[in-house]
Amino acid sequence: MIQICNVSMSYQKDSTALIDLTIRIPKGDFVYLTGASGAGKSTLLKLLYGAEKPTRGQILIDGQNITRLRSSRIPHLRRRIGIVFQDFKLLNSRTLFENVAFPLEVQGRKRFEISTKVYQALKHVGLHGKLHRFPLQLSGGEQQRAAIARALVGDPMILLADEPTGNLDDEVTQEIMELFKGANARGTTVILATHNRDLIRQFPRRVLLLDKGRLKEDYTP
Amino acid sequence: MLDRVRCLMRRVWRNLKQSPVLCTAAIGTVAVALTIIAFFGIVVLNVQQVTRQWSQDIQVIAYLEQSPSASQIQAWTAKIKAMPEVEKVVFVSRDEAFRRFQKRLGPDAELLEGFGPEILPAAMEITLKPPYRNQAGVGELVGRLRQDANFSDLTYEQEWLTRFDAFIGLLKLGGVIFGGFLLFAALFIVANTIKLTLYARRDEIEIMGLVGGSSMYIKTPFLLEGALQGLVGGLLAVAGAFGLFQWLLKEGLAGFLLISGIGHILFLSLPQQLLLVAAGTALGLLGSAASLRKFVRI
Repeated sequence: MIQICNVSMSYQKDSTALIDLTIRIPKGDFVYLTGASGAGKSTLLKLLYGAEKPTRGQILIDGQNITRLRSSRIPHLRRRIGIVFQDFKLLNSRTLFENVAFPLEVQGRKRFEISTKVYQALKHVGLHGKLHRFPLQLSGGEQQRAAIARALVGDPMILLADEPTGNLDDEVTQEIMELFKGANARGTTVILATHNRDLIRQFPRRVLLLDKGRLKEDYTP
Repeated sequence: MLDRVRCLMRRVWRNLKQSPVLCTAAIGTVAVALTIIAFFGIVVLNVQQVTRQWSQDIQVIAYLEQSPSASQIQAWTAKIKAMPEVEKVVFVSRDEAFRRFQKRLGPDAELLEGFGPEILPAAMEITLKPPYRNQAGVGELVGRLRQDANFSDLTYEQEWLTRFDAFIGLLKLGGVIFGGFLLFAALFIVANTIKLTLYARRDEIEIMGLVGGSSMYIKTPFLLEGALQGLVGGLLAVAGAFGLFQWLLKEGLAGFLLISGIGHILFLSLPQQLLLVAAGTALGLLGSAASLRKFVRI
């Protein structure tokens, strides 16, 4: 369960990115965060993974107030959250296997466990045949699938995705959305930021529409 | 635990392997900066040696009106030697003074024909302990000696002492300012070079943070890498300083040292060499730590 209570966020005194947001996202929900560019979608995601702190309000994840977390506890929060970006954020100097293994290495998991889980995660996204390829040897869709495998390899309870299909064509977008739906079906809460209305129409789920930092609509089509 | 250490070492090795050019640049920067500091240190060390040699010439001579008896010489020697500033007292009889004078005149000694030792006074030559070989020390000793009427005729080179004191003061001040400047410049350059290596890996650092890497997990390999680069740079600096010492100081300053009365020129002692390597390691470590503060914000 994610509870966002009266959250406001401003980067500078005169520009407010989020204004008095109150949202409740039950465990296992699939939510689109939508709105025009600059509406505050990415800022809200950053607040959820602890990259920023709100200037006002509280955010609770499973009862834990993450706005009051000490910076040394932020990594522990991020280990429970998988993050997917529009630009994939894969390390081009590492193989696919090494990229996906990254979150598990960070957690200090055993090598055998890492090998097994990474193989399973890559198999799940259909890339188990390209373990030793480097990201630049893959297509955009494959890179995003690898990024999703990396986000899911640690069995996170929440999956955050910031415009994950922004750089991809329709066919690949379908494949990527299937992966998100699959993760959600296995119990992961998915929050997907997008300004693509067609995507919402094709895969209808709960929509949180942001407008200039305010929650304008909260509906399920 | 062993697994973690192995993993850490693997990460350090991979980082070093990944950017050999930047890694070499960091090592080279530490080596060059420390070589300059070490070379400056060697110069200071040897100038100190020269000044120490010069300071041995600082003496106070008490001329005596009458030739004293053996018991007087013994009593005065004991009295002067008891003074805190005094290292050595030598009685120079009239005969000894005359012999020295003849020797100093060399071929012109015949000028002294017809004269005897009675033309020169006997004297007590007083050498000071090293900490008192300066204007203040000589002043204190002279004041103490003047309290005894037997030592009223005292000679010491006031003007030379003033210049010597000023020279030593200038040398110390110059050493502190120049050495301090070099050290800060080295730290600045090393920190910036390491910042470049971190900048090249900013994506990796960012991703490590996003997937839950703790600040310690992210920073440790970079700190170790910085320390390792500093260590290698420090070792190269010892070798570089030795090369400069051989080519520039030992050959170039041989004539000067002969004039100064110093037989050989000093290189850094083993503890000083170890200190240089430790300074390199610390530079690398501090440089990394300073740069990481900017890149890792968790």
